[in-house]
Amino acid sequence: MDAITPRIVITILGIPITSTVISTWVVMVIIMVSVILIEKYLPTLSDMIGDFIADIVNSIMGVNTIDPYLPVLGALAIFIAVSNSAGMFPLISAPTSDINTTIALSLVVFFAVHVYGIQSKGLAKYLKEFADPIFLLPLEIVGQFSRTLSLTLRLFGNILSGELIAAIIFSLVPLIAPLPLVGLGLLVGLLQAYVFTSLASLYISSAVITEK
Amino acid sequence: MSNLSPEILITLVTIIVSGLGIILGTSIPAIVEGRAVLKALDGITRQPEAANDIRTTLLISMALLESTAIYVLLVILILLFANPLIDLLVV
Repeated sequence: MDAITPRIVITILGIPITSTVISTWVVMVIIMVSVILIEKYLPTLSDMIGDFIADIVNSIMGVNTIDPYLPVLGALAIFIAVSNSAGMFPLISAPTSDINTTIALSLVVFFAVHVYGIQSKGLAKYLKEFADPIFLLPLEIVGQFSRTLSLTLRLFGNILSGELIAAIIFSLVPLIAPLPLVGLGLLVGLLQAYVFTSLASLYISSAVITEK
Repeated sequence: MSNLSPEILITLVTIIVSGLGIILGTSIPAIVEGRAVLKALDGITRQPEAANDIRTTLLISMALLESTAIYVLLVILILLFANPLIDLLVV
């Protein structure tokens, strides 16, 4: 269990700090410094990244304007993309290779779906949509949990397996062999960020749109 | 078979099940994803202006199909590297 669960590194004020938390802090610092530098020297690049994410979200959500939902989805996309790629740095393991991080991100999506749904439709009407054909109600409830669980496990499994395979190949042939696997891991990380954001926007749009 | 010590028995069964599990768990999703790509390419050939929509749908669907293979990989990894039954036995 030692390789898969995070280990406690230091203790601040009586709170144990695991290596995942330190990796998350490093990812946050990387994102903040990159945003400051990009805004100062290459302002068009930040526009391009923002438009790219907005296009992805726009092609999936069928709402009139995606502006209320774009901050959450964009933050999820950027954080997951950067933290999946942080596995390539030497002493750091990706924060999303710990199931606690991915559960937290899925819970963000879970609560975002319900909050946006209640905000746009009102509590009674939103809850009535679950019981539309009444025999589908248990299926809907189970579906909510299974959607959250599948988001968690998909991201966790992809990133953890990438890291473990790279570690195993590194312990066998350290010289050139891990390189294609680390490259594949980077590609998979970006793809998983895209898929997470797409699925989150799909769930939000299905909660907000009223079927006519 | 019952004269083997419990650790050896658990390790043996784990190895056999992991081998079978990985074979089934990676080949079945791969076959199904291949068929999905086939249909998507047919769709792009038939209607080239819908290529972007088809590509987005294809990527999301492949990620969803792949996730069940990832579940199998996860269970096999936990069985091989952090087998809870052996930990229980040693304690």
